[in-house]
Amino acid sequence: MIAKANARTREIEGRSIVRGKASGPALVSQAPISFLGDLDITTGRIVGKVPGVEGRNLKGTVLVLPDSMGSAGAWRFLYQLFVHGNHPVAIVSQIMPDPSLIQGAILANIPIVCEASEDVVQAIKDGEHVEVDTEGPRAVIRVTGPA
Amino acid sequence: MKLTRYENEMLDGRHSEAKRLAMSGLVQLGEAVDAPDMVEIGYAHVHPGMALYAKDVELMEDLANLGMKMAVPASANVINADLENWQQTGAPEALVRLQARVISVHQRMECGSALSCTPYWAGHWPTWNTHMTSLESGVTIFCNSVLGAKSNRDGFFALYAGATGRYPRFGYHLDENRIGSLLVHVDAPLENTGDFSALGYHVGKIVGSGVPVFTGFSQRPSLDDMDALGATLATAGGVTLFIVPGVTPPYASVGQAFGGRKPKAEITVTIKDLAAIYDSFGDGSETFDMVHLGCPHASYEEMKAYANLLRGRKVHGNVDLWVTTSRAIRDRARDSGFVAAIEETGGKVIADTCPIECHFIRTGSPDPSLGVVPSGIKAMVVDSAKQAKYARDMIFCKTLFTSPEFAVESAVTGRFVRRYGART
Repeated sequence: MIAKANARTREIEGRSIVRGKASGPALVSQAPISFLGDLDITTGRIVGKVPGVEGRNLKGTVLVLPDSMGSAGAWRFLYQLFVHGNHPVAIVSQIMPDPSLIQGAILANIPIVCEASEDVVQAIKDGEHVEVDTEGPRAVIRVTGPA
Repeated sequence: MKLTRYENEMLDGRHSEAKRLAMSGLVQLGEAVDAPDMVEIGYAHVHPGMALYAKDVELMEDLANLGMKMAVPASANVINADLENWQQTGAPEALVRLQARVISVHQRMECGSALSCTPYWAGHWPTWNTHMTSLESGVTIFCNSVLGAKSNRDGFFALYAGATGRYPRFGYHLDENRIGSLLVHVDAPLENTGDFSALGYHVGKIVGSGVPVFTGFSQRPSLDDMDALGATLATAGGVTLFIVPGVTPPYASVGQAFGGRKPKAEITVTIKDLAAIYDSFGDGSETFDMVHLGCPHASYEEMKAYANLLRGRKVHGNVDLWVTTSRAIRDRARDSGFVAAIEETGGKVIADTCPIECHFIRTGSPDPSLGVVPSGIKAMVVDSAKQAKYARDMIFCKTLFTSPEFAVESAVTGRFVRRYGART
């Protein structure tokens, strides 16, 4: 764990959607991801044609994305990723996700942040260490670059 | 979020652990979407527990063990096998045994085992102004647009709403969101539910998550027409409510559907648009090995129509024909001789499930011990654009979309009969 005093650590604020705390390496997608079709439950891989991140694995990452899709069935796919241990540990989405995805995240205890003070897909670099704290109504995203 | 005394008691665990869990989830959701308070719901269409998803039946059993019971009238959605005719479908027995465990879950939860995506045909018929929840977007749009009930496109929490009788007040529970966003002039002859299905698919792609308002129908659409239209609006777009003035309660006129304001956008739909939807499936090859009728699950009237089209004929030897419906409608169709008429042709009447919800699906995550193997279906003729999309995307088979009459004709002749003849 890198101390908060480290000059490379910075904080971004956002809105807490699903409460919790988690940390992991950022997987940053510049394009929206569909939770119904783009993800393989049994491996955690992004199998949809999502530019830049196709073939990457979500498992254990903090998923950072501009927006998500997947409509009414999204909860099932996020929850099934969790059941299989292939879920992202937290989701940072610039735009508020569908109620269905929020429901899947509450079921799986996966914190979600949205509407951050900075455009997250620009502000957070792929692979940086990200801590998400959504215990309060204002979420804190702590980002630490590679040492 | 403002809660009543009873809602706070549920949240504090003073009623049951199941109610506490459900209320806690609903309050988290309500706070996430800035809901001011909860609405009292009158109906919930809920997750049934699905054997093709790992630990999903067990999740429902855990909730039943916690004492979860439905506080309002409730029905459960489709499952992953026909529990009566599973052998006809080739389902692995281990899968069926696991799936059958949900029946006792529903009994303990006091939830109707409709096991259908059209619980309304089975008698679950919420009325005007009833707040409700549904995890099936087709049920949501039918209840909003045909019955005048108030529902969002929901997920798992439809179950939590059923268990508490409450749901956060947001989205389509607010009248301010039940206003048209696109005026659709229909300038095309609509002759069957396939045409309504094509219309919904076309408009759904344009309107996205807006509210389309339809005018120009030459006659009042039947309940089956409205069902077909809603199912594809919810599939091709994220539509939750559509309005047919004079049909959808309480909208008597186009003006009322737009809240007294002028429509911001208008489109006209012609026969060319419908033909383009019919032609948008498949890859030019017209061979197939399966015909599926009954998406969404057929009504009694649709079962009658399929039986009348098939009576006295034989399904082609290279074709597997499925007609899917709910168990309640299958019983009534059996009493009326429709099931016998279909089965005498070599067709199968399947309930509780459908091609994309049974062991054919490739996007599930079944436990390997269940013995689910890829179906080998190469191409399927369907009479619904919803099934044309989902069978393609979830079974990974080619789909060919035509009208109900021509889908039956295809099943009998073994040759695909296009809706409008040659490709336009």
